[in-house]
Amino acid sequence: MKKTLSILLICVLALGLLAGCGSSSTTTPPAATTATQAPAATSAPAAAKTEITIAIQGEPTTLDTQYPDDGNMRTITWSIFEPLYKLDGVTLEPIPCLATDYEIVDDLTWKFTVRDGVTFHDGSAFTVDDAVYSINRIIDPEYNSQIFSDFESIAKAEKVDDKTLTITTSVPDPILLKRLTKLDIVSKSFTEGKSVNDLTSVANGTGPYKLDNWTRGQQIVISRNANYWGEQPVLEKATYRFIEEVVTRAAALKTGEIDIAMNMYPEYVADLPKVFSGVGTETSWVRFNQRAGLMKDKNMRLAANYAIDLDGLAEALFGGYARPCEGQMGRDGYFGFSEKVNKYPYDVEKAKALLAEAGYKGEPIQFLSERGRWLKDGELTEAVAAQLLEAGFNVETKFVSWQEWLDTLFDPSKTPDMQFSCTSNEFFDMDRTYSALVHKTGTQSAVDNAEYNAMIEEAKSEMDFAKRQEIYDSLVQKLYDDPFAIYLLVLDDLHGGAANLNWTLRQDSRIYISELSFS
Amino acid sequence: MGMGKYILQRLAFTVLVVIGISILVFVITHMVGNPVDIMLPLTATEEQRQLLTQQLGLDKPMIEQLGTFLKDAATLDFGMSWWQRRPCMEVIMDDLPLTALLIFFASCISVIVAIPLGIAAAYHKGSFLDRVLTIISLGGICLPPFWIGLMLMLVFSVKLGWLPTSGIGTWKHMILPALAISFRPMGHLSQIVRFEMMQQLNGLYVITARAKGVTETAVLFKHALKNIMTASITMIGSDFTKQLGGLSASVEVVFGFPGFGHLISETISNMDFPLLQAEVFFVALIVCLINLLVDILYAAFDPRIRY
Repeated sequence: MKKTLSILLICVLALGLLAGCGSSSTTTPPAATTATQAPAATSAPAAAKTEITIAIQGEPTTLDTQYPDDGNMRTITWSIFEPLYKLDGVTLEPIPCLATDYEIVDDLTWKFTVRDGVTFHDGSAFTVDDAVYSINRIIDPEYNSQIFSDFESIAKAEKVDDKTLTITTSVPDPILLKRLTKLDIVSKSFTEGKSVNDLTSVANGTGPYKLDNWTRGQQIVISRNANYWGEQPVLEKATYRFIEEVVTRAAALKTGEIDIAMNMYPEYVADLPKVFSGVGTETSWVRFNQRAGLMKDKNMRLAANYAIDLDGLAEALFGGYARPCEGQMGRDGYFGFSEKVNKYPYDVEKAKALLAEAGYKGEPIQFLSERGRWLKDGELTEAVAAQLLEAGFNVETKFVSWQEWLDTLFDPSKTPDMQFSCTSNEFFDMDRTYSALVHKTGTQSAVDNAEYNAMIEEAKSEMDFAKRQEIYDSLVQKLYDDPFAIYLLVLDDLHGGAANLNWTLRQDSRIYISELSFS
Repeated sequence: MGMGKYILQRLAFTVLVVIGISILVFVITHMVGNPVDIMLPLTATEEQRQLLTQQLGLDKPMIEQLGTFLKDAATLDFGMSWWQRRPCMEVIMDDLPLTALLIFFASCISVIVAIPLGIAAAYHKGSFLDRVLTIISLGGICLPPFWIGLMLMLVFSVKLGWLPTSGIGTWKHMILPALAISFRPMGHLSQIVRFEMMQQLNGLYVITARAKGVTETAVLFKHALKNIMTASITMIGSDFTKQLGGLSASVEVVFGFPGFGHLISETISNMDFPLLQAEVFFVALIVCLINLLVDILYAAFDPRIRY
C-alpha cells in the first residue's frame, strides 16, 4: 500500500509541476492584454486608445516596397510610403498625393508637378529626382519587380525642372494615374547603390507613419511621423503581428490581444466584438476552353451560366459576404463595368434546353480546380460542379496542386474544358481583366477572337473616358451573349475588430492606419 | 574499439548522409515544378518569367547548378533565399533555435509526465489506473496536435485568459504550443516505459533484490529505472528529431509561432530551392547528431554496450 502511495505521489508531483506552470501565470493581472506592446510605451489614462495591434496573415518578406507581390507587406507599407497619386477611398478616383497636379501633354506624355515641403523619414527632402528614380527603378528589367506588369505601359520618367517631371508611356494609357497609385516613391539617395539584402528590413518613405522596428517572426511596429506634410493622424503607434491561422486571429481578437483580425471567415464572425465588411477585389470565375473541345459551342457556355444559382452560393458558402457577378466580371465602381447588363437568371430548364440545342450527349467535361489558394475555392468548385451536374453537364471535377494548376493555366496544350480561378483587379479598371483573361495574348486567356482583341486594344489606349466606356459597354454585351467564363462571385473583404474601433472600409480594400481611431 | 574512434567514424558517416540527402533533395525539387510561376503574380509577362529564370540561374544545366550548390554548401554558404531575399543562413538561424527550444521544452514535459505514469501503470498492470493511463496515452498519440493546440487555446487563453493565444516574446508564449506538441511523445514514451518496466519488474534480479530486503524505492530507482533508459532514450530522441523535421509545423501555425516547422512548409509552398536545401541540410545534420548522442547515452546507461 505504501508503495502504491509513493508511486501515485510521483504522478501527482509531476502533474503538479505542470499545473504549477499554468497557475503561476494567473498572478498576471488579466488587464495585461496588450502584452505585445512595447514596454516603454506610456498610455494616456482615460482618453481613447492611441495604439493599435493588427494581426495580418503572414510576415512580409521584405519592406522593399517596389519589389514584391505581397499583400501582407502592402497592409503595412500603405501607411509608410506614398505614391504620386492615391485612390479616393469612396469614389476610387485618383487624388493628388506626392504630386499636386498633372497635365496631359500629348497621348504619350504626362507632366506632373511634385509637392513642396515633403521630407522622407530620414529627414532628407523629397524632390523630383526621387520621383523619377522611383519610377525608373520599378520598370528596370534588371530589378525585375514582381509587380512590373502593373507598370508595363511606362517607358520612362524624366526630370523637367525642380518642380516637374514627365512620364512617357509606350502606348496611350488612360489608366496611368491609377497605376501610379501603386507605385510607392522611395528616396534616391537612400536606395541607390544598396543591395537587395540591405533594403529588406528598412523603410524610408514619406508617409504619416515610419518604421520603428521589425522583430523577425514577432512583430513590426510603426509610429507617427511628426514631420508629416499632411494632417497628423490620430493613432500614435501600430503593431502588426503575423498569425496565419484564422481561428487563432479570431481568438486573439476575443481576448483583446489584438484590435483588428484581418481576413475572417464568414462562419467565425458571429461572436466577434465587431465585424467590418466591404466589397473586395477578388472575382471568382470558371474559364472555358474556347480553343478546342466541347466548350467551343456558345450554347454550352451559356447553359453553364444559366445553371448556376449565384445568390444561393453567396448565401450558403459565404454567409452573404459575396456578391453575384452581374453577367460580367468585376463590379460597379470599376471603370468599364457596364450597368446595361445584369446577371443571368438561374434557370435550369433553360440550361437544359441550351444543352439540347448544342447537341450535347453527356460527353465528359473536365473541370479543373485547386484548394487553399483563395477563400473557399474548393467548396465553391464543388458547389458549382454539383449545379452543373444537375443541369445535365457530365462534369469530371479534378483538384490539383497549386503548381499543377499554374502549369495548366500557362500551357495552352493542357487547357481543360473548364478551370476554376480567381482574379483580382487592384486598379479597378476592366482593362486589367479583359487584357489578361480575354485578349489572345493574355496570360490566362483561352479565347482567340479578333473582334474582342481589337476592342480591348482600342479601349486600352482610348484617352476619351466616355468613348472608352462605350467600347466596354458593347464588349460586355458581347461577352454576355457569348460568355468566355462562368462569372461567379465578387468576394467581400471581411475583418474583425475591437468593439471601440472606428474604421470605414475603403472601396479599394487598402488599409491606412491614418484612417483608424478608437472611441 | 575506443569511444573516440567510434565517434569519429560516426561523424564521417554523418557527412556522407548529409551530402547524399542534399543531392537527393536537389534533384527531386528541381524536377517537380517551376518556381518562377509560383514567385510571379498571374499577371506577369512571359519576358518577366524568362528574365527571372535567368536571374535565378534555372536556365543552366542541372548538373552545373548542382555543382555550384555543393561547392557553396561545403563552406556553409547557401546563398540568398528567393522568397525572403536575405541569406538562407540568416533565415534559418532566426527560426531553428526557437523551434529547438520549443521542442526541448515539450520533450521535458513529456518526460516528466510520461515516466511516472508509465511506471505507475506497470506496477498496476491490468488495473483501472492502467486502463485509464493507456487510454490517455493512446489519445495523446492519436489526436492531431493542432486540434489539441486549438482546444488548449480555447480553454487557457479565450475562456480563462491566463496565457496569450499566439506569438512569441515571453516564456508564457511557449507553454501552450509546448504542451500541444508534448502530447504525442508523452503517449509514445509512457507506453514504452510501461512495457519495459513490466518486464524489468518481473526480472529475476528484481525478485532477488526484493528477497534480500531491498526497499521497493531502491529496486525502482537503483535497478529497474536504469534498465529501461536505453529504450526510453531511443523514443525521446526519435520523437525529438521527427518534430524538428517539420512535424511541429501544424502546432506552430496554430499558435502563430515563427518556428522551423512552419518555415519548412512555407518554403515548400514558395518553392524556394536554396532555402529548402539549407533546411534539409540542417535537419539531416541534426538528426544524425542526435542519433549519435543517443548511441553515446546507451553506453552510459548500459555498461554492456561498448564501442
